[in-house]
Amino acid sequence: METTQQTESKMIELKPFTDEMVVNMGPQHPSTHGVLRLELRLDGEVVREAIPHIGYLHRCFEKHSENLSYPQIIPFTDRMDYVAAMNQNWGFCLAVEKLMAADEKKDFAVPERAEYLRVLICELNRIASHLLSFGTYGMDLGAFTPFLYAFRDRERLLLLFEKVCGARLTYNYIRIGGVSEIIPMEPGSIDEQDFLDEIEGFLDYFEPKIDEYNDLLTSNSIFSERTMGVAVMSAEMALSYGATGPNLRGSGVDWDLRRDEPYSIYDRFDYEVPVAKDIPELGAVVGDCWSRYKVRMDEMRQSVCIVRQILAEGLPDGPVMADMKAVRPPKGEIYFRSEAPRGELGFYIVSDGTPKPVRVKGRSPCFSALSALQELSRGLMVADIIAIIGSIDIVMGEVDR
Amino acid sequence: MDKYIRNIYKGVYTVLVGMRITIRQFFEPNVTHQYPYEHDFEKKQNVREIPKGYRGQLYNRIEDCIGCKKCELICPVDCITIIGDKLPKGEQLWDSMNVVHLKDGREVIGIIEGDDKKIMSEDAMTITNITTRLGPQEVIDRLEASGDENRTETLSTEEVSRVVTRNPVVFYLDQFDIDMSLCMYCGLCTEVCPTQCLVMKDSLEGIEYSSFDRTDLIFNFDKQEMYKKDDAENTEVVEA
Amino acid sequence: MSDFLSESFFHNFNIQENIQEETGNLVSYIKGNVINPIFPDFPMELGTVLAMLVCAGIFVAVVPLLPLVLVLAERKVAARFQNRTGPMRVGPWGTLQTLADGIKLIFKEDFIPQQGDKLLFRLAPYIMFACSFAVFAAIPFGQNILVSDFNIGIFYIMAISSVIVMGVIMAGWSSNSKWSLLGSLRSAAQIVSYEIPLGLSILTVIMLVESLGMREIVENQSGGIFTWLIFRTPFTFIAFFVFFISAIAEVNRTPFDLPEAESEIVAGFHTEYSGMRFALFFIAEYANMFAVSAIGVTLFLGGYEGILPGYDFLGGLPGFVLKTLGLVFVMMWLRWTLPRLRVDQLMNLCWKYFIPISFFNILGTGIWGLIFKDDDVWSMGISCAIIYVCLIGVYAVAGRNLARRPEPQTSSA
Repeated sequence: METTQQTESKMIELKPFTDEMVVNMGPQHPSTHGVLRLELRLDGEVVREAIPHIGYLHRCFEKHSENLSYPQIIPFTDRMDYVAAMNQNWGFCLAVEKLMAADEKKDFAVPERAEYLRVLICELNRIASHLLSFGTYGMDLGAFTPFLYAFRDRERLLLLFEKVCGARLTYNYIRIGGVSEIIPMEPGSIDEQDFLDEIEGFLDYFEPKIDEYNDLLTSNSIFSERTMGVAVMSAEMALSYGATGPNLRGSGVDWDLRRDEPYSIYDRFDYEVPVAKDIPELGAVVGDCWSRYKVRMDEMRQSVCIVRQILAEGLPDGPVMADMKAVRPPKGEIYFRSEAPRGELGFYIVSDGTPKPVRVKGRSPCFSALSALQELSRGLMVADIIAIIGSIDIVMGEVDR
Repeated sequence: MDKYIRNIYKGVYTVLVGMRITIRQFFEPNVTHQYPYEHDFEKKQNVREIPKGYRGQLYNRIEDCIGCKKCELICPVDCITIIGDKLPKGEQLWDSMNVVHLKDGREVIGIIEGDDKKIMSEDAMTITNITTRLGPQEVIDRLEASGDENRTETLSTEEVSRVVTRNPVVFYLDQFDIDMSLCMYCGLCTEVCPTQCLVMKDSLEGIEYSSFDRTDLIFNFDKQEMYKKDDAENTEVVEA
Repeated sequence: MSDFLSESFFHNFNIQENIQEETGNLVSYIKGNVINPIFPDFPMELGTVLAMLVCAGIFVAVVPLLPLVLVLAERKVAARFQNRTGPMRVGPWGTLQTLADGIKLIFKEDFIPQQGDKLLFRLAPYIMFACSFAVFAAIPFGQNILVSDFNIGIFYIMAISSVIVMGVIMAGWSSNSKWSLLGSLRSAAQIVSYEIPLGLSILTVIMLVESLGMREIVENQSGGIFTWLIFRTPFTFIAFFVFFISAIAEVNRTPFDLPEAESEIVAGFHTEYSGMRFALFFIAEYANMFAVSAIGVTLFLGGYEGILPGYDFLGGLPGFVLKTLGLVFVMMWLRWTLPRLRVDQLMNLCWKYFIPISFFNILGTGIWGLIFKDDDVWSMGISCAIIYVCLIGVYAVAGRNLARRPEPQTSSA
């Protein structure tokens, strides 16, 4: 007869009481991705508690928006997640467009050509954003070279953006009702063909590079030692903290707004959503730093796939801007979420029918993901904190807004 | 034991794979530019091309500016300051205005100086264009190409401003300041400009204008000489 | 043991007797060829002391030039790995960049934390600096280019290079900064741990050579490339890699640069240092890097002996420096390829992998020594064959599938 014996091996707890050390990591720190300040309570190398303090990059985006007209807010969304500014523009424009579409009197539709351009540019921007995430993650873990490789490739994308909208980082390209016409690109013109050819050239160059980066960093044994099995965020935990995007998919939850709540024209493309899985032979656990990172690497491939489909179809003819006189949404409120590179970017807008919103709220994916840091980091080591911050891929501009 | 050897093997192998990648890059050419040396106006070699329409420093061609204040209004950061007085009644900025209707539906508004209303050749008159930012020669070429010489009409200033801005009031500019230290380069002001006199320089000088004093970044465009000939010819701007 | 040590140690410093016997080193060379002809009337002891001072002068003058070159080389190499050009502005192709940096560092404010231990804070860089320089005394750069041919040369090097950790701990402690403290303690743990595989790997060499003297070790490898100790037995082949990786850990370079991991603990033990004191740390780091490479070359790669017995190819001083710079380049290569280990993984690697392997090497070398009583063509041939077969076998049998690239994971898969 079996007794309920304790079969687990008893841990012998040595408790040599040492003083805890309280250390400030940041706001000026090389790897807190901007101005995050972490208050670490350390027991030697072991982190007892890591309390994130935010707000060092707070620029009153939401309050400021109340005094601006809708088109004026778009450049400010650039400054939220400055790494993926196109997607931020788009998120805001989608929200305003949906609010305007509620007005039945006005016939309002975003032209087809604009939709294609938006998807094209935003997917390229997603690649640029994930490249930066990959590079900085490598640098956080001590490998400097992937960082510069990532920047080298991102530079080519930035040159493309520069050609299409005249800016490298704060694009202000996607407008309410279409895309910017500041640099005209006639349908079927040589300009357009050059532009598409250049994108194709980039994709041809870039696709083998993903494999190279996987060889260089992803499958490197030091890298996988550092990241696999570290800071496992279970699916429940990810959901309860509101982690979204690659962080959520890294925890094994199959959820992508582009596929599950398709907006714009995402339902026309054929692509897959990377979701992390256990890889026992490598040692990767769903929800660890490596999975979150790997989802980003795989997403780049999917973005390439989407862009290739657009290139195969070609851009449709027509205008790039909806025909409308002024942006004056009807009275009402809207919450619209879209899939930015870092997760679900939501905008909540209250309008009273005037050209200026009454209230704008941005739902930042990084903020939600960062809130999980405290729980994730408990009992890990100082070096792991860096690995977590890099793997949840925060941009402080978006966290603080 | 198996795992132990596997670990060693994996460690060595992946390190070697990584080293192979980096050593391959070792022999690749540079991707960087030696910026101030290679990035040179004169040499024009290895210069990274600044694309057309790049959003650089704001520049206002004051002679075309009608003081509509749309840019001041749209600017999210209030970096443009315009003070303009209404013109006293009876006074006009320009003596007369010619509107030329081109065949492609465009209107060219400009000043045609000459005895004849007919557009003959370059010598007969000069056209300072306002709306489409073309140099005089280009306007003449275009007019000749259109072969539609007779459809020019002369308008008074107020009528012109009505055509251009749909705003009957014409301002005389006392002040047109752009504080580039505040500018966020969103380009909204250049889009709303009805005469397209406010542009962002997409040349090297539109990028390299930093200074040690913040007040040097406030550009007063009202102090500018009117009808500076070099300006009109050198500033190539995107045609809308 | 202690008798042996003290005996040999003091024996070595018995200047009057010793120098007269020794002929092959730099001191006696300078004494014989420079001091004695110029000052023929000098008493012998004074001449010896003068020759030693000249020697020290040469090293103090030449060795700081090494970091000067190596820092620039590191930046240029790193730049090439990253498709950049590196420093280009100061001097032709940026060759004077380190000089400019040095001048800048000299003129910088010499900052000492107010709450810190000022004496230790001042002392720490000098300890590191002095130790890393003292190592050069025992390195045979060439047949006669050797300051002193101790009979305990490698032992001396091990001992001196262990003192470096003192400097690191002093720097970290006296800075009164938490990051510095963390960094220095990491460094202490790391260096103390990695001394063991380092020493054990050196032991395999000593077992084969049966001497601690650096020159004897080199001269033992004078028969061309196959008599180099790395190829002498399969075990020294492994020992070389263990030695090399431990040496990287000893000099705190990526992937073992935890004491100064900039993305984790800002700059580690030299966070609070500025100006010339920081420069001393920097020089010491690069001098160390060169020193451990030079030791690796001396012990395993034939030192100043060439590839072929009769010829001087890859031999002599140029050959020695070339081989050393080769190892330095590999260090740079590794640094610009690999991420950094975590502190516990660092310890794992040392205690669970390197130390058992080192013991295995010692055991194997001992058995090898029993089987092949003296080194002849047969033993070397068998050794090289085993190394070759093992490498090929590991590559073929174990296959690539052990470390294959992880597949893309998607929801549909």
